[in-house]
Amino acid sequence: MQVIDYKCPNCGSGMTFDSKTGKLSCQSCGRQDDIEQIPDPLKQYAFSENEVNEFQCNSCGAVTITEAETAATTCSFCGSAVVLIDRLAGKLAPAMVIPFAINKEQAMQAFRKWCKNGRLTPKGFVTADRIKGITGMYVPFWLYELHNQVEVEGHATKVRVYVQGDYRYTETKHFNIYRKLRLNYVKVPIDASEKMNDKLMDKLEPFPYGQLKSFKTPYLAGYIAEKYSYDDKDLLPRAKDKIREYIESAISASVKGYSTVNLVDKQIHNTFANAEYCLLPVWVVHYDYNNLEYTFAMNGQTGKVVGKPPISKAKVLQWFAGIAGASLLTLKLVSWMMGGGLL
Amino acid sequence: MRKPLWIVAVLSFFIMLTVVPAHKAEAAEIKKLIYDDANLLSEEEYDKLNELANKYGAKRETDIIIITSTNSENKDVVDMTEDFYDNQAPGYDKPHGNAAILTLDMRNRDVYLAGFYKAETYLDDERLDKIRNKITPYLTDGNYAAAFEKYIKTSYKYMDFKPGVNPDNILFNIWFQLGAAVAIGGIAVGAMAYNSGGRVTVDRRTYEDAQTSGIQDRQDQYIRTTVTKSKIEKSSGGGGGGGGGGGVTGGGHSHSGSRGSF
Repeated sequence: MQVIDYKCPNCGSGMTFDSKTGKLSCQSCGRQDDIEQIPDPLKQYAFSENEVNEFQCNSCGAVTITEAETAATTCSFCGSAVVLIDRLAGKLAPAMVIPFAINKEQAMQAFRKWCKNGRLTPKGFVTADRIKGITGMYVPFWLYELHNQVEVEGHATKVRVYVQGDYRYTETKHFNIYRKLRLNYVKVPIDASEKMNDKLMDKLEPFPYGQLKSFKTPYLAGYIAEKYSYDDKDLLPRAKDKIREYIESAISASVKGYSTVNLVDKQIHNTFANAEYCLLPVWVVHYDYNNLEYTFAMNGQTGKVVGKPPISKAKVLQWFAGIAGASLLTLKLVSWMMGGGLL
Repeated sequence: MRKPLWIVAVLSFFIMLTVVPAHKAEAAEIKKLIYDDANLLSEEEYDKLNELANKYGAKRETDIIIITSTNSENKDVVDMTEDFYDNQAPGYDKPHGNAAILTLDMRNRDVYLAGFYKAETYLDDERLDKIRNKITPYLTDGNYAAAFEKYIKTSYKYMDFKPGVNPDNILFNIWFQLGAAVAIGGIAVGAMAYNSGGRVTVDRRTYEDAQTSGIQDRQDQYIRTTVTKSKIEKSSGGGGGGGGGGGVTGGGHSHSGSRGSF
């Protein structure tokens, strides 16, 4: 399988993407290349659709077996950044990429800080330094654009209660309501990697779309990248499912101001406009605690960390007792100030 | 992280306070506070209630008195109460002092509750109405011992609240307070545990194209108005009707009161 590597034109060392400057940089001589300006080497190669799972490193000549999804990696012998052309060309070519803004050290630091802030995580988990591995990974996502035409009809009431003389009056005004909405959702991200947990990936959102760049392979230099396991048609149902709740809440927002709303007819027409293939930056952290391995993910742009940490029963109890005790004290104080006894 | 511990300590202190009664009643001499001329109580019940009235009355510095009468002279129940106060001069602190009196007229099946001095402010007409409503069902059933016990305990309880506040406010209920505290703690910790893995921070607007999305057409067509009315229930004096507040005795002692039948 053909590979691309990034040799420094000055000194010949391997170059990698630098998240601080956003440039392709050489660690040896400090050369920095603007990725937008240099031609993408991908264009020079003819690609072939084959199922070969091994590549030969251009730098050291070693032959390495890769996983079927890997699109970019580092040579396990010499550490050079390697991009596998066949997995990023043709129908596998990403349209866009959001490069990493957080480097490895920042990611480790942010993760440790997050652990410390975990109010229910056991003490040992916070202090122990057991990061087993941290990987910067470009995860394949489909960004969907879906258009929706919504029409709802129903019955709504406005209720007013007032007192006159010895009677309480309940006045109910009845309305027929109708709403026609156009709801266009753009760039709804759905992760297309089989490996990644869908719920985890959903919590990583939002990704800053202002940082979207048209795809060029040098952005991947030094990181792991994967190709999609599911295409846009496979994932369309998930995308529709995701926007369904947005549509529902948009509908209820459009009929505000009534006491009760009962929708009898609801018509939603989705149209699939397009889906763009995109690579988004995620730091994946594996962590060892009490012989169990925990996986966390961090948004490579915003630093948001997600993943279930272990929960300490003692801390849960402490917090519960503390909050319940404080509430009881407050209630006692309030009732005492209102003129009640202390008991 | 250390904070919760001292709160635990304070919490346990409060629970102890709730469980253990504030003071042991002093072994003072037992006053005669129940005048059971109508012989409604057995000797055993009498002793128990008289002791209870002494014990709870002492904590509120008020004589909690019960009078039952067959009313051979056919006097009004209010006059009976006032005459009793003028003639017997009861009072915890001094003769004609703090006293709460429950009078039962067995002839006309009337009941009257009165509060003198401290009890006049702490057991005003409204609170006496509440007590009377609580004990009337027992009186109607002929369960006099239970009614008297409820009267003693409720008077004791109500006198712990400043005048003017509603002593039955649910905020003052210890079980409500405990329950609410536990609920708040549970919800807070539950939310913490639920959110420990990170929260979804996108909503319907995140991916909405604001320029092309929105309400295109809306109709709100008024059809009709319906009105229902219901009579507002006024809290009526329980038993066979009631009412009537306090007054001033022939001897010039002002008091609060609540009157009813059973």
